[in-house]
This record gives sequence, C-alpha cells and structure tokens, in this order.
Amino acid sequence: MSSATERETGDRAVESDSGDIGTVRELGHDEFDPIGTLILIAIYFAILVMLWLFMYFVEFLGNGPTVVGSLATVVGLA
Amino acid sequence: MRNAYVDQFPAEARVVKSAFWSSFLALAIGGIFGLVQALHRTDVLRFIDSTDYYTVLTAHGVLLAITFTIFFLVGIFTWAVTTSLDRGVVDIRFTWSWYVMMVTGTVLVAVAIFSGFLEEPPSILGSELYADVLFTFYSPLQAHPIFYIGLVLFVVGTWLAGFDWFRTWWAWRDENADERIPLPTFMVLTTTLFWYICTLGVALSILAFLLPWSLGIVDSVNPLLTRTLFWYFGHAVVYFWLMPTYVMWYIMLPKLSGGKLFSDPLARVVFVLFLLLSTPLGIHHQYLDPGIAEGYKFIAMTNTMFLLLPSLLTAFTVVASMEHGARQRGGEGYLGWLTALPWRDPVFTGMALAGLMFAAAGFSGMINAGMNINYLVHNTWWVVGHFHLTVGTAVALTFMAAAYWFIPQVTGKELWSRSVALGQVLLWFVGMTFMSNAMHRSGLFGMPRRTAEPQYQNFDFEPAVGTVAEMDAQVALGAVLLVVSLVLFLLNMVLTSFNGTSDSIPDNTYAGTLSGPEDAPEILDNLKLWTAIAVVLVIFAYTLPLASIVESGGLFGPGIDGRQLSLGADLEPALETLREVVA
Amino acid sequence: MNIHTYEKVWLAASMVLIVGFIATITYGAVGPGVSMISDDGGSIDPSEINDDERFEETGVTHVGGNEYEVAVLAQAWSYSPDEIEVPAGSEVTFYVTSPDVTHSFSVVGTNVNTMVVPGQVSEMTVEFDEPGEYGILCNEYCGEYHHTMEGTLSVVPEDEFDLTELSVEAPGEVESGNETTINATVSDGMQTDLETTATLEIGGEQYDEDVTIDGAGSESVEFAVDADQLGEGDHDWTVTVDGEEESGTLSVVDGANDDSGDSDGGDDDA
Repeated sequence: MSSATERETGDRAVESDSGDIGTVRELGHDEFDPIGTLILIAIYFAILVMLWLFMYFVEFLGNGPTVVGSLATVVGLA
Repeated sequence: MRNAYVDQFPAEARVVKSAFWSSFLALAIGGIFGLVQALHRTDVLRFIDSTDYYTVLTAHGVLLAITFTIFFLVGIFTWAVTTSLDRGVVDIRFTWSWYVMMVTGTVLVAVAIFSGFLEEPPSILGSELYADVLFTFYSPLQAHPIFYIGLVLFVVGTWLAGFDWFRTWWAWRDENADERIPLPTFMVLTTTLFWYICTLGVALSILAFLLPWSLGIVDSVNPLLTRTLFWYFGHAVVYFWLMPTYVMWYIMLPKLSGGKLFSDPLARVVFVLFLLLSTPLGIHHQYLDPGIAEGYKFIAMTNTMFLLLPSLLTAFTVVASMEHGARQRGGEGYLGWLTALPWRDPVFTGMALAGLMFAAAGFSGMINAGMNINYLVHNTWWVVGHFHLTVGTAVALTFMAAAYWFIPQVTGKELWSRSVALGQVLLWFVGMTFMSNAMHRSGLFGMPRRTAEPQYQNFDFEPAVGTVAEMDAQVALGAVLLVVSLVLFLLNMVLTSFNGTSDSIPDNTYAGTLSGPEDAPEILDNLKLWTAIAVVLVIFAYTLPLASIVESGGLFGPGIDGRQLSLGADLEPALETLREVVA
Repeated sequence: MNIHTYEKVWLAASMVLIVGFIATITYGAVGPGVSMISDDGGSIDPSEINDDERFEETGVTHVGGNEYEVAVLAQAWSYSPDEIEVPAGSEVTFYVTSPDVTHSFSVVGTNVNTMVVPGQVSEMTVEFDEPGEYGILCNEYCGEYHHTMEGTLSVVPEDEFDLTELSVEAPGEVESGNETTINATVSDGMQTDLETTATLEIGGEQYDEDVTIDGAGSESVEFAVDADQLGEGDHDWTVTVDGEEESGTLSVVDGANDDSGDSDGGDDDA
C-alpha cells in the first residue's frame, strides 16, 4: 500500500533528501495514527467552544443596549 | 549535480524572482507605513498630519493586501505549476507580459495614492491626482481615474497569469491524458477559477460604474451597489491570498517536517470547497449595511460558516502531516513528538508559527462570521486584529518563511543567514502577539478602526479589563518589533542576493503523500463541474440582493456626486468641525 | 476515498461546531430578539433629505407610550443632532442617513452600531432600560477629519426626561410708569399632556403661573410686569418651566428721558 503511494509521488518528491532531515524510520499510511494531532485538535475544539460561548453570551449579549428590530415602524409612520 | 528550480527552469525562475522582489518592495513600504500608523493612532509618536494618516493607510492597505500578497502568489503559483507538471510555461514572453502589466497597474495606483502627500497634486486627465479612498474605495469617495485604471490593469494582469497556468496545464494534459492533475497544479487551478469568478464583481464595479463616474461620463453612482460588488470580490480575495499559504502548508510543510502529506484526496476536497464557497458570502462584510434584507445576510452567514469546514480540515491534515514527519524523525509520545520537529529551520518554524496564529485567527473569524454578534465588533479594531493574524501573519509569515527556501531556489544563491532568519520569524510571531491581542481587546469596547486619532473630546472608552493606555502600548511595541523583524527579513534577502552562487542548494521538491491521488475520486478533478456549481451558488446568493439594491437605489443611484472630502474641496464643514473641537 | 478514522471524527466535530454557531446566532435572533439592520428604512435621495418627513427636523420625537424616534443626519464630519437625550425604559427607533459619503453611527460600548450609506436610511429599534452616558462615533473613513466625528447619547432617568421647549419674548426696556409683559411659550414634545408651572423671577420677586399643555401642543403664559414696582435701572429676569430656563435683562428707563441704554432681551437658552 505505502510502496504504491511512494511510487505515485514521483522522483521529485521527498525521498531523495529524507536523509538530510533526520528520518530514522519510514511510516506508511496504515502504520500511522495521528493520535497527537487528534489530541491537539480536541484541545483546539474545546477552546473554540468555550471562547465562542464567552464571546456570545458575555461579551455580546452583555454589551448593553442592542438592536431589537423595527417594532415601532408601524406606529412611527402612522 | 545541483537540481534547484533555477537549474530546471531558468527562464521561469527569473519571472518568479522578479515577482518576489516586487512583492518584497511592497512589503517594505507597506510595513513601514504600518509602523507610522500604529505610533500615530496610539499617540506615541506623531510626525505626520492626521489628515495624511489616511493617505498612509490607503498605501498600507493596497500595498500589503493587494501588491505584496498577489505578487508573491503569482511567483509561488508559477513555481507550483511548472514544478509539479515538470514542464515550463508555454511561452515565456506571455509570462513576462502579465508580470509587466501587473507592475504597470501597481505603479499607476501608487502614483495616485502617493500624490496624497503633495500640497498641490498635479492634474492629469482634467482632475487632480487623488486616491485617499482606502483599500475599499467605497463610493461616493472618489479617486482619480488612474487609480481605477491601475487596479483594472493589475487585475487583468492576474487574469492573464491564470490563463498562463491553465495553458501550461492544457499543454501537459495533451501529453499526459490519463494522469491525475498533480496536487500543486490542482490547487493553483481551483484557486484561479474562483479568482475569475470573484474578480468579475470588482471589474464590473470599476468598469461600469466607478471609472465612468470618475471620468465624468456618468454623474452619479449607487453607493450600496458598488459597495456590494466590492464585497462580492472582497472576501474571496482574502482566500486568494490565503491559498498560496495553504499550498505551502500542504506541499512544503510536510516535507520540511520530515514526513508526507497525510491525505491528497482531502486536500483536493478542501480546494474544491474553496472554489465553491469563496464568493457567495461577501455579504457577511455588510451585516450592518442598510438596504439589504436580513434573510440575505443569513444566507451569507450560512455559506461563511460552512467555509470553516475546509479550514478546519486543513488544520487536521497539516498537523497530522507534521506529526508524521516528527514520528519519522523519531518523535514519541502523545505530544512529545512536537519536540522532534525541526524548530531550528526558519522555513519550518515560520510556517508552523504562521499556522498557529491562523488557528487563533480562525476563532476571531468565527466571531466575524456570526451575523448578529457583528454589532459588537463591526468596524472596530477587533477586525484589524483579525486580519493581521490572517493576511498579516498566516500569509505574510508563511511567505517570508517560504522566501528563505524560494530565493535560493530561484537564484542559486545560499541564504545569507539562517540564524537571523530564525530570529526574524520568531520576532514576527512575538510582535504580532502583542499587537493583535491588544487590537482584538480594544475592539470589544468599541475602539474604531481606520481612525487617525481615536481619542474623543466628549467621552472615553471603558475597557472591562485593562486600560486603553496599556493596549495602545502593546500595539506600539508590537508594531516596532514587527518592523524590526521586517528589516531583518529584507536585509537577509538583499545580502543573499550579493552571495555568489552555491552548489549546495537543495533539490527543488515538494512533499509526497501518504494517501495519494489514486485514493481521490476522479470527479474531484472535474473542474468544469465544480466551476458550474460555484457559478450557480453565486447566482443564488447574489441575484436577489443585487436586484433589490438596484430596484431601490437605481443602477446609478439618486444623484450622488463624487466626493473628495478634504479641507480644500470642502472647506466649510471642516472649519465648523475645527471650531467645535476648539470650543 | 481513504479517510482516517480520526479525520472522520474531526469532520463530524467540525460540522457540530458549524451547526452550533449557526444555532447560537439563530437563538440570538429569536430569544433575545436581536435584529439586523435591513432594508426597512428604505431608500432616500441624498439631495432631498430635507423633504423627507423623517428628516425635516432631526432629533428626538415622542411617538406615544415609551416609544420614541430619533432622526440623525451623519455628515462629514458631525452628527445632527450631536447630543441625543432619551429616557430610560424607552424603545427608541433611530433613522440615520447621510447626505455625502458613507459613515457609521456607532454608540460606544453598546451593540448599537450601523453603517450609514448615502441613498439608504438605516433604521434600528433599541430598548434603553437603564440610564447611562454613551459616546457616538463614526467608524467608517469619511474624509480628512473623519476622526473628529463624534456625538453623545444620554439615557436619563425617566422622571428627568421631557421634551418641553421654552421660548420667551420680552421687551428690552420699558418706560417707568408703564406696564409690559413677558410672554413665555411652552411647547410639549411629548404625546401626553403636561401639567407644570411657569415661573418668572425678576427684581427679587417670583411669579408662578400654572399651565396645562395638551400632548404635542403649546401654550403661552403671560407675565405682567409693572415698571414702577421695579424702579429705574437694569433688572435681570429668568423664566423657568420644567427644567428649561431662559433669562434676560429688562431696563426700566425714565419716560421723559430719550437716550435709553440698549440693553437686550434674553435669548440665553439653558
């Protein structure tokens, strides 16, 4: 599986200089689970949710008078 | 045997190099103007008149948001197409012609803008040069015709560049009928397609309305119409800047990390989503505009929110690719692998920090996308904080980091100093952290953007946390650090160009993939299909709002004259204001 | 497609996020009732703003009950009016337009914030529950002195708010031996009747007249002044109604003597 992928990426791709950047092992698609990525992105998700709730319900809805529509229009023009 | 880009494509390398240097020049001027503004606004140091602030701001916006970004983009895209197709452009003279056209456009625009510093600007075409209209040139503020003509030339230059990339791909396709479009070329083509779609709006706005109006051929405009056409273009343009950044993150960052791109198919999905959704959401910049019904604003919001998806997917794919690299380099543990990344490489570190900043920018962007919460942040300094994280860091820092790799590639000269480069990208990150966080916070208590002296006579701002002085100090400090960083970058570029050619330039390569194009459904490469859907979505999103704007305000508006609101042109209100200020 | 399980998880989480955001915004519109600036204000010809009944006279008008309307002209580089006063507990609809370029009308530290585009009227209704003092600023670049464009909005306690206006007509001088009158015209901008007292102070004396004014009407109050009682010389006077005040000076001159001082009547509107 992974060897097919490598052929696909062609001769200009990464293999040629992999030695320069300290590769100690080759990991194919099926041998690699990005668990660290999952953890990082879960932390990001949590931050996003908390900040969103804070911004919307505290900063925005708590920010004094707000535009509530044009209920007075009908009366105003009458 | 050296195999850098300049060895493979010497003719194209010269164009790419020229585009990069055009970009750096814009960055240098625009960046220094940014410092002038930061010090002026915060009242740390004022050595220009407040009336000239808006000339500086116009130049800062146009030079950085348009000139710097797009010149770099055409460089990267030309590199990406030729490298990934392994063939040169069809006709290098054509390539030079669009580059020259873009330069000509930029020069015209710059002449119009910089005339704002003159006491008595010269008259050309029957009117004084003038372009203090900011990057958004909202009518009825009216610039001199050469400002609009310059913009048109620049945009047409980019259209020809896009044609050049397509043409190169067509030539390749004739020889490689059954092959998938290589990923970098795929990214370039999808980006070019939505650029064509979105620039139609600004082209229409300028050619049908603003240019004839500034030439006196028609005597009125509909401000809401030209404004809406601007934003039809104005949000997609931010993705246009961002896409070369994504290209770098997808095809360079994995390699720099020592790994491979996690998923080619998802990268294609991401770019298709950008093609589909970049344009039919511009109205989210007009949440607080009168004359547009709430329903259209809600539709724009829905499209905007769904455009979060490709960026969120990108976050995963890019980080996973970095993790792959780190683990191949021996990284272990749940998060310990982070230490195995090549943090001493300025190209990697610059791009990684840019990505981190983009994650933060993603959050403020989500707020900006939210329809009614826009009352809180619209046109405040929050927004400025947001786009200094996106275009000002995600894009600019990635470009600068990429330049450390590209300039050796296109010149055959070794980088002058990798340590200075590393310091430079770190300094940018630190400077922007100060500046941007203070800008965001300032926006929350109503500090306006685009204002020379946000110190008012009859009221004070009331921050819930911290003080105005503290935030101003952070902005000023951040701006100083950013300009120091900018100077270090330019110094490195200039000194590199004085280096002799070197044999130790790495080969011109990009990242391989863990899951390659063979896993991507063929339909993803059907550009005609995606373009057709994109056009349909635009028609859905824009037909009704535009029709209602034209219906209520007329194509050319109800008798709206051009305005150049300066003391000379409109003496009385200014004096009145001055009297009020004195009184 | 070969999509990793974790990626599928993240894709699902992303969709939750997106749908959650849209749901929050929808809640804000439906629950607290936050409404967007829309096309309700209609379009307007910038050169004929004065002919529009909303903008004939800018400022605060009482519609009825706790409802008010405020017409504001945003222009380079000021607001008309630049000081707005409304009562707490009111529901105020703003109409804002521009005769020249694009501005904004942004009440600092609140969510009251709209673009003002020439050719369009921005209409927004706001509930002011609590008294407070706010600044107003323009956050869209509108020319060289954009940064000087500002105003204030005062939300005053309900019992301190009125739309009473006072204008006084008084002679500058009177000959001794004669009588004259100081006429105060009191108008009530509210739609409700106003019962109040008009007071004249002159020569150390105070005269009160009760007055009842119909909603949106006006009444005149006449104070008779006897020159002899005042005696010769300059006499400062002040008329006060409902917190409004106007003062001036009345000179009592010798009837036989022609070279009168030219003291002036009052127009010192508080």
